[in-house]
Amino acid sequence: MKGWVDFVLKLHDMKKQKWFRNSLPFWLILPTVITLLVVQVYPTLYTVWLSMQDREPAGWIFVGFNNFERLFNLGQFGESVGLTIVFLVGHVLLTMVGGFFTAFLLSQKIHFSGLFITLLFIPWVLSQIIVGFMFRLLVAPEYGVFSGILLDPALFPPNGLSVLVAPPPRPWFGDFPFPTSAALGLLILASTWRALPFATLLILAAIQMVPLEVIESSRIDGANGWQIIRHIMVPLILPALVVVIFNIILNGINGVGLVLSLTDGGPGTATQIISYLLYSIGWSRIQFGRAAALALIMAVVNWILIMGTLRVTRVEERDI
Amino acid sequence: MKKIFSLFWRNKNRWLIYSALILITLLNLLPIALTALVSFKSQEDVIRTPPVLFPCDTPTQSFDLNACRWSLEGYERVLAPRPSPDSPFGFELTGTMIATYGLNTVLYATLSSLLVVLLAATSGYAFSRYRFRGHRALLTAIIAITGVPFLTNLLALYQMGVTIRTVGLPYDDRLFIIIVYVGFFLPLSVWIAKGFFDAIPRDLEDAALIDGCSSLQSLFYIMIPLTRPAMIAIFMLTFVGVWNEFIAGYLLISKNSNKPIMFGFFDFLGQSRINLQVVAAASVIIALPVVILFLFFRRSFFMAMVEGSVKG
Repeated sequence: MKGWVDFVLKLHDMKKQKWFRNSLPFWLILPTVITLLVVQVYPTLYTVWLSMQDREPAGWIFVGFNNFERLFNLGQFGESVGLTIVFLVGHVLLTMVGGFFTAFLLSQKIHFSGLFITLLFIPWVLSQIIVGFMFRLLVAPEYGVFSGILLDPALFPPNGLSVLVAPPPRPWFGDFPFPTSAALGLLILASTWRALPFATLLILAAIQMVPLEVIESSRIDGANGWQIIRHIMVPLILPALVVVIFNIILNGINGVGLVLSLTDGGPGTATQIISYLLYSIGWSRIQFGRAAALALIMAVVNWILIMGTLRVTRVEERDI
Repeated sequence: MKKIFSLFWRNKNRWLIYSALILITLLNLLPIALTALVSFKSQEDVIRTPPVLFPCDTPTQSFDLNACRWSLEGYERVLAPRPSPDSPFGFELTGTMIATYGLNTVLYATLSSLLVVLLAATSGYAFSRYRFRGHRALLTAIIAITGVPFLTNLLALYQMGVTIRTVGLPYDDRLFIIIVYVGFFLPLSVWIAKGFFDAIPRDLEDAALIDGCSSLQSLFYIMIPLTRPAMIAIFMLTFVGVWNEFIAGYLLISKNSNKPIMFGFFDFLGQSRINLQVVAAASVIIALPVVILFLFFRRSFFMAMVEGSVKG
C-alpha cells in the first residue's frame, strides 16, 4: 500500500515537473508579451479605431474614412509629403556618401583607427533635441556663430542669408519643394551629422567582411582602385547598404525632436516634414482623429521598410 | 575589426588618408566644440553683433590670450549652486534642471534599462532555446511592432493615462512612463538578446542540465554571464535612449515635478532664445554623462548598433 502511494506521488511530481518544464518558455515570454500588448499593440489598435472617429461635443462619433479624406484634402499634407521626400533623399544621399567614404578610409591600414572611430561616434549618443539646438546655435538669426558670415551681403547677395528666416525659393517643378529652403538644408545637415556614425560603423563592418582574396585577385587581373570599389566592393556589401538605407529612412521619418528644437517647422511651413505634421495636428491642433489617420499611413510605410529590411537580411537563415 | 586593406593607396599616400580622416573628425566635432565654447562665454560676448568666435579681443588686438573673458555664468544659472551646511560638499545644486528633472531621468533610465535587460534576457532565452507554437509568428510580430511610429502610440497612451486618472484607478506618472519606455525599447532588445543566445553552443547548457541544473538556473548562472557584453549593450542602449528621449516624457507626464531632463532642456530653449550661453551650458551638462558612458562602454555601443540594426 505504502509503496503504491509513494509511486503515485512520485508520478505526480514528475508530471508536475514536466508540465512546468514544458510551460517554462511561456512563463519566460509572458511579461514581455504583456508589456508589448499594453504599450504597443493596444495603442496601435486604438489608433486604427481612432482614425475613423471624430471628436464631437457629445463624444467620439464614427466617421468612416472621412479623416483620411480630409487629410488628403489638407494642402499641408501634400506639401509635407514633398518636403519629406526632399528631406529623405538629401539625408540618405549625404549620409551614404559620407558614411561610405569615412568607412572606406577607416578600413585602410592606419594607426589610431580606434581613436578616430570613437571620436566620430560621439554625435550618435546626443539627443535630437540637443543636436537641434547645436545647429541652431550656428546660425541663430543675430547671435549665431556663423551669422557674421551668413549675413554678409557680399557673400550672400542681396541681403545676406538668414537661414532660419529665409523663405523657400521658387520651386522648379510645380509645387514640389525643390530647390529647398535654407532651413530644410540645415535640417538635412543636422540629421546627417547625427546619422553619419551609424552609417559609417555598419558600412565599415560590411567592408571588413569582404574577403581580401577577392580584392587581391581582381587587383592581379588588372582592376584599378575605382573599378574594385565600383564592381567588387559595392556589389558585395550591397545588402548591408540597403539595410543602412532602410534604417536611416526609418529614423528620418520618425524623428520629430530635431525639427522641434531646430526650426519648429518654420519658417512658415518650410520644414514641416511628416513627423512634425503629425505632432502639430495631434498635439497643437488636438485633432486626434486626423492625427491617427496620418499615423496609420506612416506606420504602413514603416512596415514596408522593415519587412524590406528583413527580406534583405534574410532573417530566416539566421534562425537555428 | 582587425582585418585591413592596404591595396588602394601606396604607402607614400598614407598621409592623404590621415589628413582626410583628421579633417572629417574635426568637422564632425565642430558643432560640439562650438557649443562648448559658447557655454563658457558671458552674456555680453554672446549677444555681440557681429558675433566673435573667441571672447578674447581687446580694443587694440583681435586676439589676445591674456584678455580672454571666459565665464561660468551659463553653468551657474543652470545649476544655481547655493551654500548649504547640511550637504557633504558644502553647497547644493538648486537648479531644477539637475535637482528635479535630472534625478527623474536618472531614475527612469536606470529602472527602465534594468527591466529591459531582465525581460529581454528571459524572453530572448525562450525564443533561442525552445520551439513552441507561434514561435516564428511571435518573433515577427515583435519586430513588426517597432514599425509603429513612436508618435502614433503616444496618442493612445496619452488617452490611456487620462482614462486611468478619470476612472480613479491608482496612477503614477513615474510608473507609467517607465512601463512605456520598457515597451518602446524591448522589441529590439529581445532580438539582440536572442541573437547572442543563439551564438552560444547548446552543449554548455546540456552539460549543466546533466549536472542537475534547472533551465532557469542555467539561464541565470550560465547564459547571462556568458553573454554579459550583450546584456551591457542592451542596458547602455536603453539607458542612452531613455536619457535622450524627449517627446514621450514631454507629452505623457502630467506632473511638473516628474518631468525628465529633456523636458527641462526644451523648456529652457523656449524661455531663453537670447541667453544662448545658458542653453549651451545646459546641453553640455546633459550630454556629458552619456558621452562619458559612451567613451567607457564604446564596444558595447558598437555591438548593440550592429546587432540591433540588421533586424530593422
